[in-house]
Amino acid sequence: MIFTVKKRDGREMPFNIEKIADAVIKAFRASGELDEQIKAAQAQINLLGNDDLLTNVALKVAADAVGHLEAENKTKPDIEEIQDAVEKALTEGGYGDTAKSYILYRAERTRVREVNTRLMQTLHDITFSSAKESDLKRENANIDGDTAMGTMLKYGSESAKHFYTMMMLKPEHSRAHMDGDIHIHDLDFYSLTMTCCQIDLIKLFKNGFNTGHGHLREPKDIRSYAALAAIAIQSNQNDQHGGQSVPNFDYAMADGVRITYRKAYLSNIVKALILFTGKEEEELLPIVKKLHTEMAEMGMVATLVPNEKFVETEAHELSKTFDAEIVKKAQKFAEKQAFEETDKATFQAMEAFVHNLNSMHSRAGAQTPFSSINYGMCTEPEARMVMKNLLLTTEEGLGGGETAIFPIQIFRVKDGINLNPGEPNYDLFKLACRVSAKRLFPNFSFQDAPYNLQYYKPGHPETEISYMGCRTRVIGNHYDPSREISYGRGNLSFTSINLPRIAIKMKSVDLFFKELDRMMQLVSDQLMERFAVQSRRKVKNFPFLMGQGVWIDSDKLGWEDTVGEVIKHGTLSIGFIGLAETLVMLTGKHHGESEASQELGLKIIGHMREFCDKESERLGLNFSLLATPAEGLSGRFVRMDKKKFGIIPGVTDRDYYTNSFHVPVYYKISAFKKLSLEAPYHALTNAGHISYIELDGDPTQNLDAFEKIVKHMAKVGIGYGSINHPVDRDPVCGFVGVIGDVCPRCGRSEGHAISCEKLEELRKKFPGMPAFRGIR
Amino acid sequence: MILQGVQKMSEKELSQYGEGVGFERIRRITGYLVGTVDRFNNAKRAEVNDRVKHGV
Repeated sequence: MIFTVKKRDGREMPFNIEKIADAVIKAFRASGELDEQIKAAQAQINLLGNDDLLTNVALKVAADAVGHLEAENKTKPDIEEIQDAVEKALTEGGYGDTAKSYILYRAERTRVREVNTRLMQTLHDITFSSAKESDLKRENANIDGDTAMGTMLKYGSESAKHFYTMMMLKPEHSRAHMDGDIHIHDLDFYSLTMTCCQIDLIKLFKNGFNTGHGHLREPKDIRSYAALAAIAIQSNQNDQHGGQSVPNFDYAMADGVRITYRKAYLSNIVKALILFTGKEEEELLPIVKKLHTEMAEMGMVATLVPNEKFVETEAHELSKTFDAEIVKKAQKFAEKQAFEETDKATFQAMEAFVHNLNSMHSRAGAQTPFSSINYGMCTEPEARMVMKNLLLTTEEGLGGGETAIFPIQIFRVKDGINLNPGEPNYDLFKLACRVSAKRLFPNFSFQDAPYNLQYYKPGHPETEISYMGCRTRVIGNHYDPSREISYGRGNLSFTSINLPRIAIKMKSVDLFFKELDRMMQLVSDQLMERFAVQSRRKVKNFPFLMGQGVWIDSDKLGWEDTVGEVIKHGTLSIGFIGLAETLVMLTGKHHGESEASQELGLKIIGHMREFCDKESERLGLNFSLLATPAEGLSGRFVRMDKKKFGIIPGVTDRDYYTNSFHVPVYYKISAFKKLSLEAPYHALTNAGHISYIELDGDPTQNLDAFEKIVKHMAKVGIGYGSINHPVDRDPVCGFVGVIGDVCPRCGRSEGHAISCEKLEELRKKFPGMPAFRGIR
Repeated sequence: MILQGVQKMSEKELSQYGEGVGFERIRRITGYLVGTVDRFNNAKRAEVNDRVKHGV
């Protein structure tokens, strides 16, 4: 006789045959195998019509199962053994369909149980391992996984991912994601947010804005312009799972410089008049202020580069009260002083801006906001002053001379504006190269690449090409071709395809394209599912992004309105990784090695782009093709493919798949050839792309070569590019540059100490050396 | 004993700086920078190690 059963956790519980019968009843209901008989029985015994027949059959099956167990002498069976016996009893009883649904029911229960166990295991790992040993905690390098808030973020993020894969995604999407055919990015934010947005600061600053915690007035000085810019980026970060980009940093900050200069000019001309005339400020200030106000109403204001109209009118008017010679001298003094003060204020503003973006908290302190700024093409003197000072403070580094991680700076290059000697912003381009050679930023974007140039309308900064720092690009607008602009728009979500896996599975090129089509359709459907979820969100769910009118047309919506219509201006992107490994699998060579492979590579990516265009047409939305950034993804797919298919040389034999369409990082190739090979893919990946060049040594020693590479990027049609070189820093002596085994400044090797005397000696030689504040 | 330990520490601090302190190595990941390489995930670390320089 069976009296007890062993539960999964090892506990023994009293045996209850009705529990088995219950499970069997559920299986019969699911299969419908007894429906006919039950109906017949109900018709016969009308009054007693109930589930008796079903219960009786189920109890009979349960009894048979118990019989099997007893026959095998299992007096304390565990759950698995009981379930095996039930399956057997069902099959032998002639209930084949029900046996099947019972097996399915079992499998489903096992899956749920496993997911729960997996979640618990994940949470356990997060709790008890440090970022040093836990890859999970280093999934995103910008989040400090060791802090309390970083850990809390991870709990939430991992639990949310489990929830969405179990409960919200369509099973086929969930399976494809979990199996590693596709990767749904930012799955933890599936039902909450969109990816990113390009913030038009000029519009946002007009009349001030509300952060959700308080109202900020329209800024009246370059310092407050810069401070508010940082606050806007921080506030918006909480309404998105991706990054914040400013597409018009030069144009927007120029306004702040204008106001600052006007104020400085006023205060300085008054000062000069005080000196020259011996009169009191109380008397002079109201006179000049009144004059400036009246002139401003007629469109005459003091400008950084003095304009004749203002200077002459002011001189004429002031000369009615004061001696003309004195007025002239006062004007000269004020111009010079105001310029210097404004320049200084702008430097301080940019310095504070960069410091703020590297120290401001977002996501409960686990991260700083993910910020990017685009600039380079505004040629007005005020904007030039902003760019110059921003670059100078970036070159200088943070407080301890460290390289600033944020904002990602993108210098927009355009022929006729800043690319060649004699052009108005060429000096800034040179400076950008110099700073990038030391600090890795700015990156460079190229307005003249044909696929960027097609949107550009001179005099309309909103049509200039902008990139999110990570590479996302949103400019074309199939949904509303009259709004092909960057301002107020961004990506909604993106999902990447595991290209190498398709090649491994299909082997032949023809079959590859067939499977690729199937996979792209799956991703498109998944993006649309997510889009439907996002569309049901309301303005109130995005208090800053939508509530403050940052997103395009959101200012026309009310607090309780859904955002479905306005987010149609955003993009839905299909991404990919590992073109190089795909080509090796299909042809034996990647595109750096063989022209035929390059041809096939362009055919594959071109085909993917065509699919996106067709989907845009079919659905009336903005589908675009993304060269996925793939930070966390770089290892995930290949780990799974290694397990599934083993080590395939040139395909799964490394710990990462090669980024998007890049020529593999390990392949020796010249900078110019690499760029020429990658450029055509930029034209196809309209959702974003980037190419890198790795330079040896210290590029600040060879700025000509640096500039040459950037110019080559422009020439071959790269859209967005950057040059990598080692940026090392010794926190003890503050040296920044290339450090091999030994620091070139203080001579210590990694982990070793130097003496106090030596440090003092160095300090005399390098007065700017930061004070070493112990181990960090 | 405890006091002695403290004294030892401060003596050492007075004469020596940087024991156990590594160099910071900043690299670009995907268009953006991150603090230092030790924050990279395993796959990205492997990639950084494999990167070869491009001749000009």
